Amino acid sequence: MTPERIDKIATGIILGLAVMVGLVILGLLGYILAQGIPHISWHFLTSGAESFAAGGGIRDQLFNSLYLVVLTMIVSVPLALCAAIYLSEYAPDNRRTRLLRLAIEVLSSLPSVVVGLFGYLVFVLKFGLDFSLLAGALALTILNLPILTRSCEDALRQVPYLQRQAGLGLGMAKWRVTTKIVLPAALPGIITGAILSAGRIFGEAAALIYTAGQSAPVISYTDWNPFSPTSFLNPMRPAETLAVHIWKVNSEGLVPDARAVSNGSAAVLIITILLFNLAARFVGYRIKRRLTK
Amino acid sequence: MQVKTALEVKDLQVFYGDKHVVFDVNLKFPQHQITALIGASGSGKSTVLRSLNRMNDDLARVTGAINFHDVNINDPKVNVYRVRQRIGMVFQQPTPFPMSIYENVIYGLRLAGEKDRHVLDQRVEESLRQAALWDEVKDQLKSSALALSGGQQQRLCIARTLAVQPEIILMDEPTSALDPVSTSQIEDTLVQLKEQFTIIMVTHNMQQASRSADWTAFMHQGHLIEFDKTATIFMNPHEQQTADYLSGKFG
Repeated sequence: MTPERIDKIATGIILGLAVMVGLVILGLLGYILAQGIPHISWHFLTSGAESFAAGGGIRDQLFNSLYLVVLTMIVSVPLALCAAIYLSEYAPDNRRTRLLRLAIEVLSSLPSVVVGLFGYLVFVLKFGLDFSLLAGALALTILNLPILTRSCEDALRQVPYLQRQAGLGLGMAKWRVTTKIVLPAALPGIITGAILSAGRIFGEAAALIYTAGQSAPVISYTDWNPFSPTSFLNPMRPAETLAVHIWKVNSEGLVPDARAVSNGSAAVLIITILLFNLAARFVGYRIKRRLTK
Repeated sequence: MQVKTALEVKDLQVFYGDKHVVFDVNLKFPQHQITALIGASGSGKSTVLRSLNRMNDDLARVTGAINFHDVNINDPKVNVYRVRQRIGMVFQQPTPFPMSIYENVIYGLRLAGEKDRHVLDQRVEESLRQAALWDEVKDQLKSSALALSGGQQQRLCIARTLAVQPEIILMDEPTSALDPVSTSQIEDTLVQLKEQFTIIMVTHNMQQASRSADWTAFMHQGHLIEFDKTATIFMNPHEQQTADYLSGKFG
């Protein structure tokens, strides 16, 4: 066989496999959207869930999911950023930091059910947070930290070494170089990574079933006092998220239109994650352009 | 002609871990002159240069004395940030910060606590003029430095270093990433700058050394082989190794 022929065959195989992967993903996405979108209506998005009757919406679940993402990011972004700064700027390459990296990698492949049960034992029972948004946010933080730390570290490492040298050469202390030069230059990457990870935890269910809980008590969207038990902002209330709702409606739902509700919820979930991804690209692009203009 | 010494290096040794990379270097860099450090890759010339303003602090162990105004600045007790404000550095690749041209130039000054708008404006113009960039950028001081060409960026980095008003400027192959036109612009700039500053540069480009440098130091495998007037080094070097290197027999 001639090299040209081998090259053609190899290219064909690689292309074929890539098309297959693409088709599977697009097919899945298309199926979920095709099944779900017909069920999405203004009523579906803005009314509460029903326990027994048909026609329930997902207002509370959708809000809970978004609110939980916000709470999780508030906890996890500062932690991940500090860890990433340490790892990329300060950590010497020795056995201890290699162990730390290994731990982060292991943490990132921890099954989310395990994280959920850990959160149940530690946050819900030991810390006495009960089933609450806060317990859920802490569990999601455990899931989110390794990925976010990694993406922040990557963003920081992509800042050319010479930029740091230039700062030091001007007589800046290392901390100044880190905060004034490296961090701003890495910002687009950090923000993109944060939004992408937000999309990932938005769809999380297993870690939340035993931490944020499966019930959606009646909440008031006009009560702005976060300490009031019925306030939508209260982080101590139990909160069923969209992904948990899908799981629950399918496994033990008593509503006659369970299938339609879960299909609609799944489509809303996918669309929201898609929006997160688009937002990440857009924000990253805008910041980069502002820096180079 | 007797020239004053701007910086004196005595018995300089550098170690990367257990590896001894620079041996017993003794040099007196003449004031208001351009000194070129030449030698093959791995000869230790960049390492010596980077030791002069303590940029090797985190990477290597440097022993020996570096005397600057009768102070040994290699002493761990000396404030390295001060040292680097007096002995600035320009790197191989242009390293503008992701901000405006104006902000880039005054970065070091801001750091030193200068807030007076007039002083800042004045220093920006002065530094950019010294770096021969003023005419090209005076109408776009507020736009991003990243939009400049490579040669302009490098002159911006020179201006940024000058704005702090150092006495000595260290340059680590300042034109190796630039095209010939930008290179000759920078070389012209250097000749202007030596009236006010002492310049020490590492270069791989022999023509550059012979064109711009007053003094040349030749290094080989961590040893300083010869240090003399550039003309002497290039026309009739005392050491056989220097002659071999310059004629391309090794390195």
